[in-house]
Amino acid sequence: MAQTEHYILNMGPQHPSTHGVLRVKVELDGERIVHCTPVMGYLHRGIEKLMESRTYTQCVPFTDRLDYVSSMNNNWAFCGAVEKLAGIEVPERAEYIRVICAELNRIASHQVFIGSLLIDLGAATGMIYAFRDREKVLDLFNIICGARMTCHYIRIGGVIKDAQDEFLKETQKFVDYVPQMLQEYDNLFTGNEIFMERLKGTSIITKEDALRFNMSGPNIRASGHEYDIRKIDSYGVYDRFDFQVPTGTKGDNWDRYRIRFEEIRESARIIQQALDSIPAGPYMAKVPKVLKPAKGDVYHRVENTRGELGFYIVSDGTTKPYRVHIHRPSFINLQALDTMCKGLLLADAVAAYATVDPLMGEVDC
Amino acid sequence: MNYLSKEQLQKIKSQFATVEYDDSQAEPALYVARSEFLDLLKSLKEKVSLSFDRLANYTAVDYKDYFEIVYNLFSRRYNRWVTVKVKLEDHDNPEIESVTGIWEGANFEERETYDLMGIRFLNHPNLTRILMPDDYDAFPLRKDFVPLEPKIEGGELVWHKPSTIS
Repeated sequence: MAQTEHYILNMGPQHPSTHGVLRVKVELDGERIVHCTPVMGYLHRGIEKLMESRTYTQCVPFTDRLDYVSSMNNNWAFCGAVEKLAGIEVPERAEYIRVICAELNRIASHQVFIGSLLIDLGAATGMIYAFRDREKVLDLFNIICGARMTCHYIRIGGVIKDAQDEFLKETQKFVDYVPQMLQEYDNLFTGNEIFMERLKGTSIITKEDALRFNMSGPNIRASGHEYDIRKIDSYGVYDRFDFQVPTGTKGDNWDRYRIRFEEIRESARIIQQALDSIPAGPYMAKVPKVLKPAKGDVYHRVENTRGELGFYIVSDGTTKPYRVHIHRPSFINLQALDTMCKGLLLADAVAAYATVDPLMGEVDC
Repeated sequence: MNYLSKEQLQKIKSQFATVEYDDSQAEPALYVARSEFLDLLKSLKEKVSLSFDRLANYTAVDYKDYFEIVYNLFSRRYNRWVTVKVKLEDHDNPEIESVTGIWEGANFEERETYDLMGIRFLNHPNLTRILMPDDYDAFPLRKDFVPLEPKIEGGELVWHKPSTIS
């Protein structure tokens, strides 16, 4: 009599579709997935521990290396936490520059998402288009701070350099280009039949599951929750801008793709409003050279491109943080992977990895 | 960021015997004994007037003599925060009940806390190391941590306690 048994397959850590060094242990029954367990830690650098032996200012560059495709948001999360701890008031102009940079970074990060999703599904051409336009954002960062990915531009108390007129002008050009860019993507691949077939109705995360797994960011919004920290628990000057929070209905791969698409549009709207109303003035608060926040602890979170990024900092009154904990959205979102992949064909698991969008620099921390 | 009002804090305190907080602070953390913390978290989540349905952040801090577990809870309905802290006095053998029964999404964060801080969670569905190697016999985020030395022995990677410098 023929006997079948489950087969364990290792995807990764070195696999082109796992976006870094994520290893997924997949238990297969024939070609169907029974279980999949993410195994991480291949990029663990101990950033939380490293921060304990450095001053607050020296900690900021580490945050660039967490989610290395959206470093501006990470800088902002950490600086925001320290500012709250030390009671530093950030000047108005710096807040606006921060919003512009963070939203530009969100666009760049979502373009990486779109590009890598496409190449995972076999559409190499689509990836070239997304990365071509991402380059435009990176060029803007190059103008404003000289770095392209690990920016280290947002500092404790403001930003390190004022936004030049050239930057504002080029940003305006880019914002004008966004609708045309999205239209081009739509023409090129959104309506593609194979693309739609592979994304629609696969890897569904229900509304309850999204809450149960404590998910955040575009992933929870695709499941129908209007949960955006910029909106519900606003920080910086986000409450002055008018923008929508796009939500999905089904929570399938398609919704997660469309959400990011719409978010690019909303980000462009926010940048446009910020460009129109950016005030003149100082871009850096008066921050003491030796920063010694009072004893205490603080938790501050921002809406990163992947969800809710929070820093919990304990200060013991010295120049170095006593303990830093980073609440990373990618890490938490990975908990849903098993539910998403159950019963799928192995080839569709690749789409699931791509739409849950983990970034290993952040997962492993 | 909104916090619980003084009246609400007072009300919680009257319901739980071991709850304590510092009145003078603007946003005081609730300190609760290990015997009552699960009941407190459950009522914070399930009571409609509180509905702290999201475990926004979860971590542990090593204070050399004791550990402190920190829960930052967020209520989506009222847009409000509360911090709950539990002290673990036994520094040599820290253990606490898992909250995965209340928030299933705490699974990975508890595994991470176990992995890096060495706190054992009772009733956790799968308490294994998540970031460090499985055979690593030390907890990096503790204050008395000394890195282990990797050695290749018979083609296998083995972690050794560092030899003491005399």
